[in-house]
Amino acid sequence: MLGRLRTFRIAAWLGWQIESNWTDPFLFAVYSIVKPVAGAAILVVMYGVITRGDFSSPLFSYIYLGNAFYIYVGAVMAGISWAVIDDREHYKTLKYIYISPVRVPFYLVGRGVARFLTGTISVMITVMAGLLFLNLQLDLGTVNWLMFISALVLGVVMLANLGLLLAGVTLLIAHHFFLIGEAVASALYLFSGAIFPLDVLPDWLRPVGFAIPLTYWLELLRRALVGNVAEAFPTLSNFSNTQLFGILVGLTVGFGLLSTLIFRWCDHQARERGLIDMVTNY
Amino acid sequence: MPDDHAIQTQALNRIYKIRGGKKNEPKELIALRDVHIEVPRGELFGLLGPNGAGKTTLIKILTTLLAPSSGRALVAGFDVTTQAYEIRPRINMVSGGESSGYGLLTVRENLWMFSQFYGIPSKEANRRIKELLRVVGLDDRMNTKSSELSTGLRQKMNIVRGFMTNPEVLFLDEPTLGLDVGAARDVRGFIQNWVKQQSGHTILLTTHHMIEADELCDRVAIINQGRILACDSPSSLKRMLQREAIFRLRVDSINSAEPNNFEKIGGVRHFTYRPGEGHATLEFILEEEDVLTEVVNQLASHNIHLQSLEKREPSLEDVFIQLVGRSMEEVEREGTS
Amino acid sequence: MKEPVEVSRPYSAKLFLQTVIARAYPRVIGAQRERSWMFFDVFLPFLSVSAYVFVYRAIGAPETYIGFVVMGGAMIAFWMNILWGMSSQLYWEKEQGNLALYIMAPNSMMAILLGMALGGMVATTLRALVIILVGSLAFNVQFALVSFWALLGTFLLTMVALYGMGMMFSSIFLMLNREAWHLANLAQEPIFLFSGFYFPIKSLGFWIAAGASIIPLSVGMDAMRQLVFPDGPTFGFLDVRIELAILVILSIGFILGARYLLAAMERLAIREGRLTESRR
Repeated sequence: MLGRLRTFRIAAWLGWQIESNWTDPFLFAVYSIVKPVAGAAILVVMYGVITRGDFSSPLFSYIYLGNAFYIYVGAVMAGISWAVIDDREHYKTLKYIYISPVRVPFYLVGRGVARFLTGTISVMITVMAGLLFLNLQLDLGTVNWLMFISALVLGVVMLANLGLLLAGVTLLIAHHFFLIGEAVASALYLFSGAIFPLDVLPDWLRPVGFAIPLTYWLELLRRALVGNVAEAFPTLSNFSNTQLFGILVGLTVGFGLLSTLIFRWCDHQARERGLIDMVTNY
Repeated sequence: MPDDHAIQTQALNRIYKIRGGKKNEPKELIALRDVHIEVPRGELFGLLGPNGAGKTTLIKILTTLLAPSSGRALVAGFDVTTQAYEIRPRINMVSGGESSGYGLLTVRENLWMFSQFYGIPSKEANRRIKELLRVVGLDDRMNTKSSELSTGLRQKMNIVRGFMTNPEVLFLDEPTLGLDVGAARDVRGFIQNWVKQQSGHTILLTTHHMIEADELCDRVAIINQGRILACDSPSSLKRMLQREAIFRLRVDSINSAEPNNFEKIGGVRHFTYRPGEGHATLEFILEEEDVLTEVVNQLASHNIHLQSLEKREPSLEDVFIQLVGRSMEEVEREGTS
Repeated sequence: MKEPVEVSRPYSAKLFLQTVIARAYPRVIGAQRERSWMFFDVFLPFLSVSAYVFVYRAIGAPETYIGFVVMGGAMIAFWMNILWGMSSQLYWEKEQGNLALYIMAPNSMMAILLGMALGGMVATTLRALVIILVGSLAFNVQFALVSFWALLGTFLLTMVALYGMGMMFSSIFLMLNREAWHLANLAQEPIFLFSGFYFPIKSLGFWIAAGASIIPLSVGMDAMRQLVFPDGPTFGFLDVRIELAILVILSIGFILGARYLLAAMERLAIREGRLTESRR
């Protein structure tokens, strides 16, 4: 266990070195602010144009917070799965990681920590911008912090599992121009009720939303941060907080097992087909 | 500038600015200092030096990838700084250990792609590719994805990439780096044959293998710390040492502290010590043969048993030692420590 | 093997074309040999675009906006092609040692970049087509095409200006190393915002929309929306003819700018020794 923790810690340190030291602090700050704010601004403009600027509606807070916390989804999943491409095709160290006495999944999850940290900065900036400029209905005094932190931690574990699943798939595929972590995250945007209540989806698509843990995670975060907003949307109102936590824990464990199985299978395939050190840039 | 030179440099300097720590001022690293070389057309010219001597920097400048900090360099009669577009159609380069090309393409496809960047018609390109792959013994792997090639075969593909455009001046930067003995021999053989067959085509080869320089090159420039220390044919360079006597002695294992004493013997120009399994090899460059008596006496006084003694001809390694005061291995070791 | 030395003229039209085709080749073949991109680069983006459609449904937007999102979602593919398939790709080419060989060869960097872009066009066009076709069918988008030729002309002009801008942008990447990836990432969302991928740029207000018109996609897409949607002209920022004139100016400006900047940045990169710098 100690060995695994050490692997995780070293991988996290390495990931942070790679993620943070590419530029000076000023550019890093600009990067950290511009990207999430521009992303949120797209939804703000869409919403503002149609509702003629009715930012006090619970729907706005629903969309805005869902989008803000969804940053974690792309960051953690892409962080973990990208480490495979980065180490395999760029630094060409994946083979050395494999032959060293570390558990590769722990290493990859560790590499994702840096993106989680930069993602946290983005989430905070987005929420702050909402509070300062857009009348976001978030009262820090009424936040259920225990529930928020519990949901956040559980969600990060769940996202790490999904990231590991994608890392397994990445072991088998070429280095494409896009990040598969972000591609998957942006597709799940549709099903997770991040920026619109699931009721808006056609009946036949809703089950996908109910089957993925992201939906429950975002709902828990909303309930913890802005309980009244969450109440305004009936999709998951039949579930108590405890039930939501129970479902999220169950799905996290379920996806954890699935990720482990898929990662192991992909890992075996990659070694059998000699893909651990391939360079596929085209 | 006479047109019979493939390469000519005058007072060439290159300084790199290296970023220091957070608060440090940028440091300057002098990679080339006042380099003068002249390589006539048709010559196989070697640049011999340890890692970090400036060989690759010089090649980068001559292939128009890096601008000199000062001085002038001409390739095929054109200035590397102001006439890069005249030079580029006339040159090519192969570096050792390079991973250029695309892993998802086959050997033939990769080579065809590069041939197109030089405007070679596809039909002609395919003919040359086929012929050159046959010469280097890679024709049976023509349709293998390059990601599936071993290091040696990949390097052979790169060799073909460099030669297939039939360049006036070809730069080979450590072309046998990382190759096994057999593959390296094949590559050297290919280079030699190509130069023989192509009149007027020039090769500049950098290496830190003495044998490679000795075996292949018409002339060799010895470079260390960015300076050209000597430039002549291998035989002429070795004649610099005709007065010296070079001996190789095989002895029983000796105490690691003892070799220091041999440096101090009067008349010993240079001494190297290589420990082996149950024995050690000592090499001496002596000012004159008579000094050997003193060396043997010293061995006897230390109770070191002499197994064999051999006088050998000077090599380029000895020339390097003569010029730098240390062996290339020692220089590289110091550079990394 | 005694052939006369052939010297191709740098920048000759034939060499330019050969280079474009040769660099496009690995892209086309690579995409064919590794088809996993189809799922990640075609199917998943369609789902992502659909999410924005449902946002509009959730806030009760007029149906015209659904069509805007579908078109925007399709056009995003081209910007992604530039950003990830062309500009930041130079970083990978440098790391692999290909960039040095490209620069050293007697071809034009513009041809290399164009080859990369065109090679990736199979994936890009498929992505755009799938989003347009499936999106239109799935979300019942209504079209009222004014003129096919006007639409095609506007699209092609937008592409010329857009790829010209992409090449200018790429020149910066000749100087970059690891930060290239971050810069490309940084340029993603702001362009999404100011190009009006998901809403008409008129919504940004006159001055911001006017400023955003320097991005070919902004004016190009605005003109195309006016040409294909029944309510398009109502949401249009400027008259289509003015937008076409802007696109012509942008095309010329960006192509010339790209040519100048690529040469200038290549010189700078050569001076500073940035073309072959490796992993850090």
